[in-house]
Amino acid sequence: MPSTELSPAKSPKLEPQPWRWTHPRVLIEHPDEAAGLAIASGLRYAGFAVGVCPGPHGLGQCPLTGPEGCAPAHDADVVVCSLGYEREAAREVLHELRQRYPHTKLLVEVPNTIDTELQELLEGCHVVPAPASPEQIVEAVRSIAGEPAQEAENDA
Amino acid sequence: MRSPFSSETEAFRFLLLLVAAVIPIVLATVFGPTWLVVVVLVLVLGAVAVRAAALHMQRLRDPAMQVKMAPPHIGSPSDRRVLVVANQTLDEDALLSELERLASNPSVRIRVLAPALISPAARMTGGIDGLLAEARAKLQTALGRIGHSRAVSGEISDADPLHAIEDEFATFVPDEVIVSTRWERTEGGLDPLLAGLVRERFAVPVRHLVFEPGADARESDRETEVRYRREAGDTAARRFGLSAVVGVAVLAALVLSTAALIRSSEHSEQRSAAEAAANQRLVEPGPVANVVALKVIPEGKRGPEGEKHDEFTTTEFTVKVGQPQLLKIDNTDTVPHSITAPGAGVNIVVMPGVHTYKLLLQRAGTYLWFCTFVCDEWAMHHPGYMSGYITAVAS
Repeated sequence: MPSTELSPAKSPKLEPQPWRWTHPRVLIEHPDEAAGLAIASGLRYAGFAVGVCPGPHGLGQCPLTGPEGCAPAHDADVVVCSLGYEREAAREVLHELRQRYPHTKLLVEVPNTIDTELQELLEGCHVVPAPASPEQIVEAVRSIAGEPAQEAENDA
Repeated sequence: MRSPFSSETEAFRFLLLLVAAVIPIVLATVFGPTWLVVVVLVLVLGAVAVRAAALHMQRLRDPAMQVKMAPPHIGSPSDRRVLVVANQTLDEDALLSELERLASNPSVRIRVLAPALISPAARMTGGIDGLLAEARAKLQTALGRIGHSRAVSGEISDADPLHAIEDEFATFVPDEVIVSTRWERTEGGLDPLLAGLVRERFAVPVRHLVFEPGADARESDRETEVRYRREAGDTAARRFGLSAVVGVAVLAALVLSTAALIRSSEHSEQRSAAEAAANQRLVEPGPVANVVALKVIPEGKRGPEGEKHDEFTTTEFTVKVGQPQLLKIDNTDTVPHSITAPGAGVNIVVMPGVHTYKLLLQRAGTYLWFCTFVCDEWAMHHPGYMSGYITAVAS
C-alpha cells in the first residue's frame, strides 16, 4: 500500500523527451481505450497535444512505478487521471505522479465515496466527479490550463 | 536494442556483468589449459546469448506499454482530416468508394499515403526508381478514380511505413487514420500488423480495412487485432528462436572444428616426435655407462592429495658430460610420453612398449625435464611423477 505522505520529489530517470509538440500538453490516464480516445479527441479539438496511457491496466509495467519514470507525465502540463481509485495499483500511480511531478497539474476523476487515504492523496489536485463526460473533462482541463493559444494552424 | 548506458545504474550494472564475464575467461587463460579456456568462453558466450535471446523473445511477446500521442487538431472545429495508408489495395473498389464517400463531405480532407516497400536488394541494384514510378502511377490512377482533387491528395514514400505515418502527423496532422491491407502480408504489400502498431502509437481513431481475394472489404475488430498481434508476436518469437538455435549450432560446429584442428595438430606433432624418436633409437653404439631400466606407469603413484598419477619409476638421472647413458624404458601406457629437458637439448620420445634410448648431455649442470605429451596435467608439473632432474657431471 503506498504511503500517502508525500516526500520530496525523486529525480526521475527518463527516456528521451517524447512530446514533439510545444502546445499545452495533456496526458490522459484512462483504462478504457475508447473513452481515453474520446477525451483525447475533445482535447485535440480544443488545441491541446495529447497522450493517452492505459495506466497499470495495460500491457507491460507502468514506468511510473519503476525507477525509469514516465517521460510523457514528466513533461505534461496537465495530467488527467481516470484510473478508478478503488484499485491499489491506480492509487500507486496517483501517488507516484504527485511525488515525482509535484508541479504538474492533476485533474482526477474521483468516485462518489472517498476514503481517508484517497482524500489525502487528492489534496491539492483538481477533481471532477465520476462519471465525467469527455466534454466535462475538456472544460475542466481548459479552466486548469487556461485557454491554449489558437496557434495550432500556424505551428503544424 | 536498448542501450546499456541509458542511465548510470544501467551502465554500472553492465560494467559489473562485463567484469563477471571476463574474470573466468582471464583466470582460465592464465591458469588453465587451452580446452578449459574454450569451455569457459563457450559457457560465457552461451550465457550472454541465452539472456539476450530471452529478453528479445519477451519483447516480441510482451511489448512495452506505449503511450499514444497526437498533436492538436488544426483547422476549424468542423474540419476533419483523414490519412489513408495503402499500397497494394489502392485499386480495390471498396476502398475507393469509401474514400469517395468521405471526400464528398466538404469538411473532410484526405491524404493518401502509399508506402513503396523497397527491398534492400532493390536499393542496392538501383531498382528504386522503377518501383517508385510504379507506385506513383498506381496512386495517380486511384486519385483519378476518387475525384474531388481539391480535397484528396496523395504521397509516395519509400521510408518505413510507420516513420512515414509519423511524418504525416507532423505535416498533415490527421484526425483519423485508415490502414488498408490484405489479411496476409504479400510481397510489396503492407503488413496487416501495421494497423495495430499505428493504433498503439497515435491517439486518434484508427480503422483497419482488410481485403481478402474475392471478398468485400472488412473492418477488423479489436479482438481480432489483439489476436493477430499475439499470433504475429509468437511467430516472430518462434522464428527468432529457430534462428538462435541455428546460430548456436553453427557456433558449436565452429568450436568443435577448432578443437578438432588443435587435436589434429597435436597428433601431427606427436607423430613427428615419434619418428624423431625412432631415428634416435638408431644411434650408433658408443662407449656407454651402465643401462638404467625404468618404467612408465599410468596412475602408478599416489600423490600427496591421495589421487593416483602417471609416473616414470625413475625421475633422477645422473650422467657424465659427453658420455651416452642408455635408458631401457618400458612404457606400459598406450600412448607416447617424453623426457624433455629444453635447457639441456634433450627430447626423448618414449614409445609404448620396451625400447632403449640414449641420453647424452654436452654441458654440465642440473636440468629439469618433464613429459610434453598431454597426459596427467598434475604429474607433468611435479618432479617424481612425470617430471624430474638430469644432472650432468664433468667426465
